[in-house]
Amino acid sequence: MSDGRNDAVSGGPSPAVTFGGAAAVGALVAVAAGVYGRLHDPASETTIKWVFTSTLHFKAWMTTLALLLAIGQVIGGLWMFGKLPIGSAPTWVGPAHRIAGSLALLASLPVAYHCLWSLGFNPDPGGSRRFWHSVFGCLFYGTFATKVMAVRSRRMPGWALPVVGGLLFTVLVLIWLTSSLWFFREIGTGI
Amino acid sequence: MLRRVANWVEAVVGVAFLLTVILLFTNQPAKPPDAPAAVVEAAGGIDGAAIFGARCAGCHGGDGSGGIGPRLAGGRVVQQFPDAADQIAVVTSGRTAMPSFAAKLTEDEIAAVVEYTRTILAGG
Repeated sequence: MSDGRNDAVSGGPSPAVTFGGAAAVGALVAVAAGVYGRLHDPASETTIKWVFTSTLHFKAWMTTLALLLAIGQVIGGLWMFGKLPIGSAPTWVGPAHRIAGSLALLASLPVAYHCLWSLGFNPDPGGSRRFWHSVFGCLFYGTFATKVMAVRSRRMPGWALPVVGGLLFTVLVLIWLTSSLWFFREIGTGI
Repeated sequence: MLRRVANWVEAVVGVAFLLTVILLFTNQPAKPPDAPAAVVEAAGGIDGAAIFGARCAGCHGGDGSGGIGPRLAGGRVVQQFPDAADQIAVVTSGRTAMPSFAAKLTEDEIAAVVEYTRTILAGG
């Protein structure tokens, strides 16, 4: 009796086509987020602030938390791929890598919610920080969607996961630079 | 064990993601109170409420209750700026984290939104 999963791997579309499909879905997700942010009438309201002074304090620190978790995830990924000079990764690194990535996404959700629902997509390149932050925010979720598919699919090219993972981390860094860092410099690092 | 925790965390985050998407489409914002027609007319036909919603509410809250910017509602702004001219100067030129609106709003629009915060938003 054959293994259905292996059959599927040997008889389906090529890795390049599979990656192209995942990239297309990611692009659709990014565009959908941008279209929502552009067409939705911004509520201009504060949302969750938890124990923080304001929603923006909350957002700045949650984005920082997401970045720290992502740094942990990158380290875990490098370890699993044997790119760290500390030997092979123990078995707990894989699940810890997944948990860190999931929690980073969780931390980003209330931030993205306020960005999209309350502020919207800033289409003016003249207001450069907000424009690029809007672009990076949309790219983040699109890239995330592509990465989830890269993780789940057995048809992806070998380079797909590290490339998409690296791109996702880069976009998150750019989001942090255009939001949290700006906030910490302009407003302060208090909570 | 940790693998099961990872599965569980991924499931929870998946549900949270779906809830966030649903909220994006279902949550209705509380709009700031409209300026009465007489107030709009007195401001030369400029709707201070609309300007507040578009330019100020993102930081000061849709109802002026504050956010990154200080609370304005309930007369707080009148306490801080007994003279409206001082408030107009801050809106025009900016101060610390408060951006300048000199290039974004006309003098009449600034006057109208300031009047809105000092009257309608103050509950007066």
